[in-house]
Amino acid sequence: MAPAYPPEQLAHIVEFVRAQRNDLSLEDVMVLAERMAESLDGTMERIDTLLHDEFQSIIGEIGSLRRDIGGLRPDHMRFEKIPEAGSELDAVVEATELATGAIMTAAEDIMAADASDSEAFKALVDDRMIVIFEACSFQDITGQRIAKVVKTLGWIEERLGMLSRTLKLSNVEGEAPPETDAERRDRELLLHGPQMKGEGVDQSMVDDFFAPKPKASTTTSDQNDIDALFD
Amino acid sequence: MALDLTMPVLVVDDYKTMIRIIRNLLKQLGFDDVDEASDGTEALGKMKERRYGLVISDWNMEPMTGYELLKHVRSDPGLTRTPFIMVTAESKTENVIAAKKAGVNNYIVKPFNAQTLKGKIEAVFSD
Repeated sequence: MAPAYPPEQLAHIVEFVRAQRNDLSLEDVMVLAERMAESLDGTMERIDTLLHDEFQSIIGEIGSLRRDIGGLRPDHMRFEKIPEAGSELDAVVEATELATGAIMTAAEDIMAADASDSEAFKALVDDRMIVIFEACSFQDITGQRIAKVVKTLGWIEERLGMLSRTLKLSNVEGEAPPETDAERRDRELLLHGPQMKGEGVDQSMVDDFFAPKPKASTTTSDQNDIDALFD
Repeated sequence: MALDLTMPVLVVDDYKTMIRIIRNLLKQLGFDDVDEASDGTEALGKMKERRYGLVISDWNMEPMTGYELLKHVRSDPGLTRTPFIMVTAESKTENVIAAKKAGVNNYIVKPFNAQTLKGKIEAVFSD
């Protein structure tokens, strides 16, 4: 049986929590809850055997919860998986920019070339086309990098699902966190970013919106127009 | 207002590649005098130093967005008549309505092609 903690030791724990409250982790709280439950164990045993069993069950649940959360490897997610995914996306942006730059430079060279010497012009076009083909190979590498990021997102989703099930949070309605400055800016300045296919408006809808409206006839009305006024 | 190929055009985008694309398309259309800015603040500074015949601006930039730039331009008596085309990936109806209300002359949804850019520039100068 776990030892009962005398009041002075509990006072030490409370003092520790007060001192550490700025960076108190979930692990700290769980350890404290476990110790508190253990400290009451002896007392409660004397009061009621039923309560004793309840407390034993609570202690068991807390211990199990600690093991489950440990199994989720939160530090692995925070310090390895998420930074790795960020680095992959940075590499995708860099590779895309490099490839786009190479393709555009090749195209600009062709546009600026003197076509009067057909042989030299053809040689230049052939050369720049090879550069364009080579640059397009970025898609293979970026595709693989993005696949790794998608895999990481799946890994995180799976672990968040496990955490939600472990803590039985699926039916808990959490309070929405307060809006950040960046979120407020996005909302106020209508910064939604690109829409998925089928969402948002396409160019033809925009064109309709900007098309000049046909002027209403002010000269004559036929009977249908007059009837419409009395419907 | 007549379309004048010698007029200076200001292209505003925080993505250098997009500026390069628009600059090349404008060159193909015959515009040679093209300046660039990477956000609304820089664009506004340039517009106060030089009178541009056309502004082609992205929406999503920092610190000043294209939408804010448009509102600044329309509220400044010296700049208010400058033709302004928004070229953006922001394609929600509320964006198009907000831009129209703020006084944009035309609106192009990214990705776009040379024909669309040419058509919108011509439409702005035929109004």
